[in-house]
Amino acid sequence: MLEQINFFISILPKLWQGLVVSLQLSVGALAFGLVVGLPMALARTYGKGVVKSIAVFYIEIIRGTPMVLQLFLIYFGLADVGLVLDRVTAAILALGINSSAYQAEYFRGAILSIDDGQMMAAEALGMTKRQAIINIILPQAFRLVLPPWSNELIYMVKYTSVAFLIAVPELMARGKMIISKTFKPIETLFWVGVIYVIVLSLIAKIVDIIEDKVSIPGFQMSREEI
Amino acid sequence: MKESSGSQVYDIKVINRKVNNMTKPILRIQNLHKKFGSSEVLKGLNLTVDEGEVVVIIGPSGTGKSTLLRCINRLETPDSGEIYLEDQKIEHGKTNLSRMRQKIGMVFQDFNLFNHLTAIQNVAIGPVKVKKIDKAKAMKAAERELERVGLKDKANSYPAELSGGQKQRVAIARALAMEPKVMLFDEPTSALDPELTGEVLAVMKDLAKAGMTMVVVSHEMGFAREAAHRIVFLEDGIVSEMGSPEKIFNNPEKQRTREFISKITSLSGEGSA
Amino acid sequence: MSMRYTEVFNSIPYLLQGVGTTLEITIYALFLGAFFGLLLALARVYGGNISRRFAILYSRIIRSLPLLVILFLLFYLGTEVINFSEFQAVILALAIHTSAYQSEIFRGSIQSISKGQMEAALALGMSKTQGIFTIILPQALRRAIPYWGNEASIVLKDSSFAYVLGVLEILRRGEFVIARTGQALITYIIVGIIYLILTSILTKCLSIGERKFRIPGL
Ligand SMILES: Nc1ncnc2c1ncn2[C@@H]1O[C@H](COP(=O)(O)OP(=O)(O)O)[C@@H](O)[C@H]1O
Ligand SMILES: [Mg+2]
Repeated sequence: MLEQINFFISILPKLWQGLVVSLQLSVGALAFGLVVGLPMALARTYGKGVVKSIAVFYIEIIRGTPMVLQLFLIYFGLADVGLVLDRVTAAILALGINSSAYQAEYFRGAILSIDDGQMMAAEALGMTKRQAIINIILPQAFRLVLPPWSNELIYMVKYTSVAFLIAVPELMARGKMIISKTFKPIETLFWVGVIYVIVLSLIAKIVDIIEDKVSIPGFQMSREEI
Repeated sequence: MKESSGSQVYDIKVINRKVNNMTKPILRIQNLHKKFGSSEVLKGLNLTVDEGEVVVIIGPSGTGKSTLLRCINRLETPDSGEIYLEDQKIEHGKTNLSRMRQKIGMVFQDFNLFNHLTAIQNVAIGPVKVKKIDKAKAMKAAERELERVGLKDKANSYPAELSGGQKQRVAIARALAMEPKVMLFDEPTSALDPELTGEVLAVMKDLAKAGMTMVVVSHEMGFAREAAHRIVFLEDGIVSEMGSPEKIFNNPEKQRTREFISKITSLSGEGSA
Repeated sequence: MSMRYTEVFNSIPYLLQGVGTTLEITIYALFLGAFFGLLLALARVYGGNISRRFAILYSRIIRSLPLLVILFLLFYLGTEVINFSEFQAVILALAIHTSAYQSEIFRGSIQSISKGQMEAALALGMSKTQGIFTIILPQALRRAIPYWGNEASIVLKDSSFAYVLGVLEILRRGEFVIARTGQALITYIIVGIIYLILTSILTKCLSIGERKFRIPGL
């Protein structure tokens, strides 16, 4: 037991560095996913013709293929045609694009769950559709999307582990490096797992607190609804 | 006019019961206590029901009527007191409990039909799974039970395809298929639209006429007048007063009973005549 | 399209041979996961204190571990402690991972069935076990189908992680094709199309299943 703890203390600095990279990847990917996902949601919900088709195509292709494949296509595949990205950029891009499709669907679910009457009332006040979306629909959708969105945040930290496959030095990759140095795979992976569990529980706690703070009484969508 | 015809019906019922000498107790509840948390709902309740008797239980909301019925078939566990069915104690042994529940039919306020089964499957599943009766035989019997409640043509409909009144009649058929000794009804018509209560009450009246022992929680005063042998006024966790419909409706001993009766009869638009 | 691509296109049959392996991994993992997920859900809803706590803890821990961590843990356990193949390690890792998610799906659908259903079953004289298997689960599992379908498509996609242990599924075969032809982009696109076709077929099958098992009127 004591030996285990000593081992943990000896590898902690490296794992900590990895964790910081994991969190950076998560934040970058989530932000990218939001910036791309929200317009995709609007395009799929309100768009017509080509705009709508592009959004549907984008979302369904990403949701229908494995994350690893998307990562490899962006990192190795694009290099093939001369677009060489550094590892971290490729990882953030791949994770972000992947997340954007899911975030788009969360937003779409939230928008669709908002009563049609809201849009009609806004238009009756003389707002254009665009004004109504920005001033009436989206503020509500942002609150409704919070529970699924915070799930996405929690799982993003997990998903970043795929970046290890293109040798980004995040938590999982640090674990593998330690394994090849110490030849203690099971102990190392155990401690890596412990860190993931602790970090994700912490994030879940924080998210719960934030959700409580910004919720509007009587106005929410359960996680199951989406 | 209505009053007198009601009491005539009652007189005939009494005579029938006397002639057939059906005054053997079948269900005995002794000193029943039940608490939820710190609030005591049943406070030493006693009640005996005779074979073939129809007892209608009335009382204010939240007074423990449902709890009483649920204690009888052990959907709730009483804190103390005994309940006997045909001189056999109902208790928490596994085999005893299943055997006793088979003898007690229960009809719920919100039907609780099994949503994934057709009407006839709802009726047959008890005999098949619990009594281990041959499936073909059970389906035949189920068809007869459905016919009895007037729903033979709905045998293959799913609950979601039936009206509330039809659902409750299937639920009654489901309970009857187990050939129970006693039927418990917990406000069987209170979840129904007024125009649908009649069909359910008619089935219950037929059942009463056929001599089924029934304990019915209901505020349908027309049914109570016509079918009940005894009315029990439950209040504050005990039987506060009981007696023949005639006595309870016309001459209750307690002021509380009188107030309660006048409240529910005026609410249901009766008695104002 | 030029000569460079013909070699890749000629490798498509080789890639397609990986579909069998991918599906095999997916199906084993999915159904093992369903079995354990259902047990965990039952423990959670109907179990005693200890089994309920265990199910909650299991679900929380597994759902916060990246699949890769579970995969490597099992791989090293398989080589160092117990003896099982990479193929088995992959299936087990995916099954463990999905069982936690499936336990949540089944728990939710079981709890969505109204309390009165079990009470009516008990009132007929059924045992609790009979009530669970003849009344609750047939309804709960139907309700779980859409969520379960979602999970099935996740497992199908996650099965691509098997490539890290060298299992010859679609992605691994893609890597070999790239090593031979040097054409990463087009190969990954073809691999992606194969996955897309598989996930759409799966989604179609599940929505057919959902319709087939729908309870009329509901
Ligand atoms: N499972 C339960 N847990 C806690 N309190 C309960 C439960 N069931 C009933 N009660 C309480 O017991 C009292 C009697 O309930 P009930 O028997 O349903 O009354 P009635 O059927 O006469 O309206 C009510 O105050 C109710 O809130
Ligand atoms: Mg009640």
